[in-house]
Formats: sequence, structure tokens, C-alpha cells
Amino acid sequence: MIQQSFIKELTGIVGRDNILSSRKDLLAYSYDSTSRQEMPEVIVFPRSTAEVSGVIKAAHRDKVPVIARGAGTNLSGGTIPDRGGIILELSRMNRILDIDTANHRAVVQPGVVNLDLQNALAPFGFVFPPDPASQEMSTLGGNVGENAGGPHCLKHGVTSKYVYGMEVVLSDGEVINVGGSVEDNPGYDLRGLLIGSEGTLGIATRLTLHIIPKPETSRTLLVIFETLENASQTVSDIIGAGIIPGAMELIDKTTCWAIEQGISAGYPTDAEAVLLIELEGLQDSLDRQVRDISEICQKNKVRELRIAKTSAEQAALWQGRRGAFGAIARICPQYIVMDGTVPRNKMVPTIHRVDEIAKKYHLTIALVAHAGDGNIHPLILFDTGNPEEIVSARKAGDEICELCSSMGGTITGEHGVGLEKLHAMFTQFSSADLSAMRRVKEVFDPEGILNPGKLLPPEEDESLHETKEVAG
Amino acid sequence: MTPAFSAEQSAFSQRLTEIVGSASVSTDERVTAEHTVDGLKPFVVVFASSAEQVSQVVKAGNQFEKTIVPWGSGSRQSVGPCLARADAVISLKPMNKIIELDVGNYTVQVEAGMVNRDLHRQLAEQGLFLPFDPFCTETSTIGGELATNVSGPSRAAYGTARDIVLGITAVSPTGDIIHTGGKTMKNVAGIDLGKLLIGSQGTLGIITDTVMRIFPQAEVNRSLLLAFPDAEDAFQVVSRLLASKLTPGSVELVDRLVGHHLEPAGGPPLEENGVLLMVSISGSREDAERHQKDISTLAEENKVDSTVILDGTEVNGIENAYHQAHQSLFTSPSVVQGKASVPLSKQGEMFRAIKKTGSKYGVPVGVTVHGYNGILYTRFDASVADPSGIINDLNGTAAGLDGFFMVEAAPLQFRKNGAVLPPRSDYKLMRLLKNSLDPRNILNPGKLVGGPG
Repeated sequence: MIQQSFIKELTGIVGRDNILSSRKDLLAYSYDSTSRQEMPEVIVFPRSTAEVSGVIKAAHRDKVPVIARGAGTNLSGGTIPDRGGIILELSRMNRILDIDTANHRAVVQPGVVNLDLQNALAPFGFVFPPDPASQEMSTLGGNVGENAGGPHCLKHGVTSKYVYGMEVVLSDGEVINVGGSVEDNPGYDLRGLLIGSEGTLGIATRLTLHIIPKPETSRTLLVIFETLENASQTVSDIIGAGIIPGAMELIDKTTCWAIEQGISAGYPTDAEAVLLIELEGLQDSLDRQVRDISEICQKNKVRELRIAKTSAEQAALWQGRRGAFGAIARICPQYIVMDGTVPRNKMVPTIHRVDEIAKKYHLTIALVAHAGDGNIHPLILFDTGNPEEIVSARKAGDEICELCSSMGGTITGEHGVGLEKLHAMFTQFSSADLSAMRRVKEVFDPEGILNPGKLLPPEEDESLHETKEVAG
Repeated sequence: MTPAFSAEQSAFSQRLTEIVGSASVSTDERVTAEHTVDGLKPFVVVFASSAEQVSQVVKAGNQFEKTIVPWGSGSRQSVGPCLARADAVISLKPMNKIIELDVGNYTVQVEAGMVNRDLHRQLAEQGLFLPFDPFCTETSTIGGELATNVSGPSRAAYGTARDIVLGITAVSPTGDIIHTGGKTMKNVAGIDLGKLLIGSQGTLGIITDTVMRIFPQAEVNRSLLLAFPDAEDAFQVVSRLLASKLTPGSVELVDRLVGHHLEPAGGPPLEENGVLLMVSISGSREDAERHQKDISTLAEENKVDSTVILDGTEVNGIENAYHQAHQSLFTSPSVVQGKASVPLSKQGEMFRAIKKTGSKYGVPVGVTVHGYNGILYTRFDASVADPSGIINDLNGTAAGLDGFFMVEAAPLQFRKNGAVLPPRSDYKLMRLLKNSLDPRNILNPGKLVGGPG
């Protein structure tokens, strides 16, 4: 329990205008984008690395939990303060410090919103490739903490590929730099280790990011199929033909219907599956790619292939996809988003098994997927007023995690473990794997103050689960 | 001749024999001498055939307090800081198979002792390719290449091992078999230990197998060889390429010292201070045509001397010649090989500074450049009178350009005395990690970059 004197000390560090502790304010930071809620004890809004370090030093001395938070858009409970403590809200460290196109580099504070960086890069003709669906709100610090993905990771790869280096505040308040402003820095890849560590190993206070020239041109295709199998085969055939689209998104009937209820993106409401394909590259090669993809679609019994003719049409199609989660929320405010990823050729059997899980628990599960990556987003809908359904939805979520593991995949491809998938970790990792991770955690955070209880399941729960057998 | 062993050494060797069988353990002088690292000859060499065996061997090392040196083909053992002690070498040579080629998923899982060139050949037979082409020898193994985080020209388009590797199985310094990542394109479950293992030089674990991304071969592979009389112009073309919408497969620059070795494979002759810019293009026909047209125009606008365009098997020819030149010029035991890493816009300046430093000390310095990554490799003869002067100068120059320079490989006495590491604020954390994961300091003691001593 935090004492009033501690809050006073923090006020001294960040200033009266950058700290909140009234019950009303604490409530506002008690949740993220999952349906869980726990009360923090104080919210601080540091504006500099020194302030972050000062707060962490105080927390370290008094062993108070610190949860770094960007915009709170995470989908795994990663920023839920389930052990109270300090919410270290980084949204006021939101300056873009440098855009250096000659060196393909941007330096930002962690609270910069992903889309704000994209907008700042646009006049220079550059982009930061990771584009999580939350990019209008989510911060780059959060993207790095979760190793965020997004539709365009199919062609460009995930966040870890686009971080040169970081300034990091460690659990005792020491400030270090990992990686650098150039490539191939000597020693262990602490940069790679920190990316995706969900705020459990350190807190990034400055990011040096890799930016790239925006592709010359792009085409957006909406491809409509009567069956999931045909859509999925099309995805395989496109990659097999050596075409790597910028993005290749699968959207199921339920989701298309929900999207069309909200906005008119032009999606069909009666087809089993649609693919939203974005091709990007040189003008010269895209005409040919469109032709090749049309042929592949014909072979796979496509119902209809639409090519956006204007950038407005392109934007409308993408608005549909990016707004998919929100559209689902309008028809059912509460749902659980899963993000398991399976080998690309296991996606169809995995989706069929998800359907079986939906039937078993009498639930509606909508689906979108980053199909080219085998990354599926089943959205498990439930009624918060129905306690039984809440339990069913949670069970279904656990089963989907197990399913993805058993298909040779992972319980999480983008959203992280947080609190929601802690126990699912046992389905993917052996106790030796987990113990190696715990050792790393202990080196970085011996007092266990950084986002405690997230990412790594408690050792004492291991006996409750059959951990993954060690393969020989 | 078998040397005399202490009772303890004999007991350890006996334990190794129990684990892998007597045919896979050798204390023969000839075998141990071949596995000498940094002048340290192990007293036993053990050949492992499975992760389970590697695990047992490492456990035995912990039990008997014997240090273990992981070994692939031995080609990069003289890279980095000096080894402090070598009791046993564990060779993964018998672990040289493809475990799973999953064409539908575009992944390949291979044992760590698999030779990269063999893997490339086997994939090519099926129309596939692995975008991982480090400057290594014919016999370099995938495991060794990951442990040393080496890279090659294709990093321009595909990134380094840290981007291509999806999963790793490794034996921890205490002998546990651990898995990280898997075979999916995305995976954020848990702490990413794979990133930590890649480039850890065998100090944090012995990689036993890995899953990597593969791709279908492109419709067209072409190589543009552009000879510039002046380095300035070649780097100007690279800058303009970097600012363009083009997406070449690789962009390499070499000086005359290296370029000379490419002439038999079709490389144009270079003038004394000339630079050869090699741009590879892979993609569809339309893509290749456009790249070729635009790059040729850029080159002409920047005073290109001659242009050679290679297609089909000629592309393999020039790529092989480049790798061989790198191998013979940069990895020879009598050479000091260094690496500078600078911001992209400073590559030309670094190149000129390296050449100038060479002239100052009267030593020819060979240079190759990953033009899309800001990486410059340097080499000069180790018999030079004052190597530390050159190194200090290059350290200073690189630091002044917001980058760093470090000696990667060099003869032993030189690495002991002259290897200066760039200053960093994270070495302490690296040491803590090593101490925690390897409490008895069993795996490659001393090899840690920035470590004690």
C-alpha cells in the first residue's frame, strides 16, 4: 500500500500537474482493452528520462510495482494494475525528436502515437512499416513493448526489425542504451530481448527507429469466395507464385456483416470469406501481379474480384478492415480477441477447429486473420450480463490457445501474454524454457517491480499444468 | 600419441564416452590440435549427434567443472574476444541434417551442424532459397553462423539472422534443452531468448537446431556491376538508390583490391582508386527491367566507367567469386579484419577515411561495404609495424561519424593486445546475464564481448 508521503515524493519528481491519485482518476486507468479492471494507486506522467528514472528509483527503494503504459490499447491485460502500484503513463513523452531520411532513421519518445509518426513521415515519402490496427491510438513505446505486428508485417516484418536502438530505464533507475543508431552493435542483442518484453525488463524512454521509403504505388483488391478453403488456397498460391503482397487479410462472414452494419465499406454480407489484398511496389510490376493473382483466384473458384479504382475506394476497403474490431463491438460490446498464429498451411484446419469450439460452447466467434502470416484473430462474443457465457467465453479462449500450440503455432502472435494468456504459456513452453526466461527477468528486475505478474506464469502453478514435454 | 591426463580429466572423458559412445570421443593429439582455439588446445573433443547428447555433455561439464567450446566448422573461432580456457570442444558436425522442410509454410528446420552451402544447394533443387548468405567458408555451419551473427549481401532486402530465424532449440549453459520461438511468422509469447542467443558466440547456449524462413526463387535474378573511377560517385549512386522507390536484393561496394578477384567471373576492371558497385535484382521480369533501367540511368548521371549486366548462372558465378574473395582476403589467419558500422549517409566518408588511414601508415587496406546497411569490412596484413595506430585512428573516425569500428578477427597476439571495443553502457548487464545463465562459466569463458579482461 502506497503511503501519502510516497505520493508526495513522486509529486516532487514529476510536478503537481503530472500526477493523479483521486479515486475517479484511478478508475480511468484501471483497465485496458480487455474486459478486466483493477485499481492502481497512483498515476504519474513523466516528461523526461530523468523523471522516469526518478520515479523508478523511488519505486525500487520501496518495492512498489510500476506498470509502463502508453495508450492502454493492449489486448492481453498487460497494463492492468492487478497488484496496485504506479501507472507510469508515457503519453506526455510524445515528441518526435528527429526525422533523418538520409539515414532511414527516426528518433522518438515512447509516447508518440504510431499514426502521428506516419503522418509526420508522409511529407518525406517515408513510412514506419509496423501498422497495428490500433495505430490511431497506440504509442510506439507500446508497439515496441508488445513487438506489435499489423497487416503490413507480411511483407515487411514485425516491430523488432525496425528498431535500431533504445534508451532504457532499468529497474533500479539506471539509464542505459541498447542497440544503437547504427546496425550490428557488439555484444548480446539486449535490444531484441527487450522488444516484446511487455514492460517487465525495462522502460524505453527514447527509440531510434528504422524508417523506409513508401512504396511507389499500391493496389487494393477485394476478393470474394464461397468457401474458406478456396480463400486460403488462394493465399497459399499467391505466396507460392513468389508474390509477397504488402498485406493479405482474411475476413469472415460475421465480421463482414458487422462492418457493413456500421459503415458501408462495400463488403459482401453473404460470402463465407473475403480476402483484402494490398499489393505494393513499383508501378511496372503491379499490373502483372494483379493479372497473376486474378488467374490464381479464377483457379480457386472466386465469386468476385474487385479492384479499387481510386485511392478513395482503397481507403474505404481498408477502413472496413481497420474498423473490424470496432464494428464487432457495436453489435456486441464485450468480446475476447485471440491472436494465435499457426504455420501458414495449418490455418484452415485451425479455423475449422475454432468453429467447433464455438459450437461446443454455444458462442459466436467472428474471425479476421492476417492470412499470409497464419495469424488468426478469433473474436469471441459474449454477453456480460450472462455469467455462464462469460465462463464459456474464457474457456473457449483457453482452448483456442491450446489449439494454436497443438498446431505447431503460438498462443500469441501480436498482442502479448499479459495476464490473459499466462496459463496458456504452459501449453507452449517447457519448465526449462520458462525457467530460462525467469532468470533473464531476475537479472533485469531482481526486486520484481516492473509489471510484476505479467508475461511469465508463476512457477508455483507449473504443477497444475502439464507443461510441454521436452522434445529430444 | 595420447598425453597423460589427470584423474579428473580421465573421469570427465569417461563420462563423455558414456554419453556419446567411445567412437565419438577423442583425446588423440591430432584431433585435439585441430580444435585449438586462441592457442588453447582442449584435452578432449566430443562429437554430438543430438540435442539430448549436447545437454548431457554440458551437464557433465558443470558437474566436473570443465569448460566447453561449441564447434561448427571452426571457421569463425578467432572472432571476438579471446577464449580464457578450453577443456573440451563439442563438435556438432554429426548434426548436419534437414529436420523438416515445410514448403507450405515456407520454413526449414535444420540441425545446427548443417553446412549452409549444402542447405542452399538442397533448397535450390526445389526452387527455394534461404536469404542468408554470410561471408563464410564453404564449410561454415548454420549454428556457427547464428552464434556469431554473421551476415551477407542479402541482408539489404531480408535483414539479418535476427529477422530470418523464427525458432531456436538450444542447450543452456547448465544443460537444459530450451526452445524459443517456433515455426510461425509471428510469435510474441514470452521473452525472446532467440534474439539473445543469436550473436552470443556460444557463451549463453549451444544452438542445436533452428527454424528459418525460406522463399520461392525469383523469376529473374540479375546482377549489375558498375565500375566507378571515383568512390565519391559510387557512394552518390547508393545515396540516391536509398532515397528511391527501388528495392534491390543487395547493394555491395568493393575496392580494387577485392574487385580485382571478381574479374574472372565477369567483373569489370577497376582503376587504382576505383570502386565497383554491385547491385543484385531479384523479382519479376517487369521489376528487373525497371530496376535495371533506373539504376543504369543513375550510374550514367554519376560518371560510371563501365557497366556489366549478368544474368542467370553468371549471377551465381559472380556471387561465388565475391564470397571466395571475401574468404581468402578477409578470413586469412595473417589478416586483421575489422568492421565499421556508420549511418547510411556517412558510408562514403568512412570509406575515404579508411583509405586515407591506410596511406598514412603505408598499409593497403581492403574494403567491402553493405551499402544498404552502413557496414564496412576492412582488412589489412597483420605483419604491419603498428596495427594499434590504424585501429585507434579508425575507432576515432567511426565514433566521429556517430558509429563505431571494431576488430572482428585477427591473430591471437594482436587480439590480446590491440582489440579495443567501442564503449557502451550495456556491457554490465551483459555480464550479469552471462553470470546468471552460466554460473560456473562453462560455455566459452572469456568470449563475451565487453566481458571482464
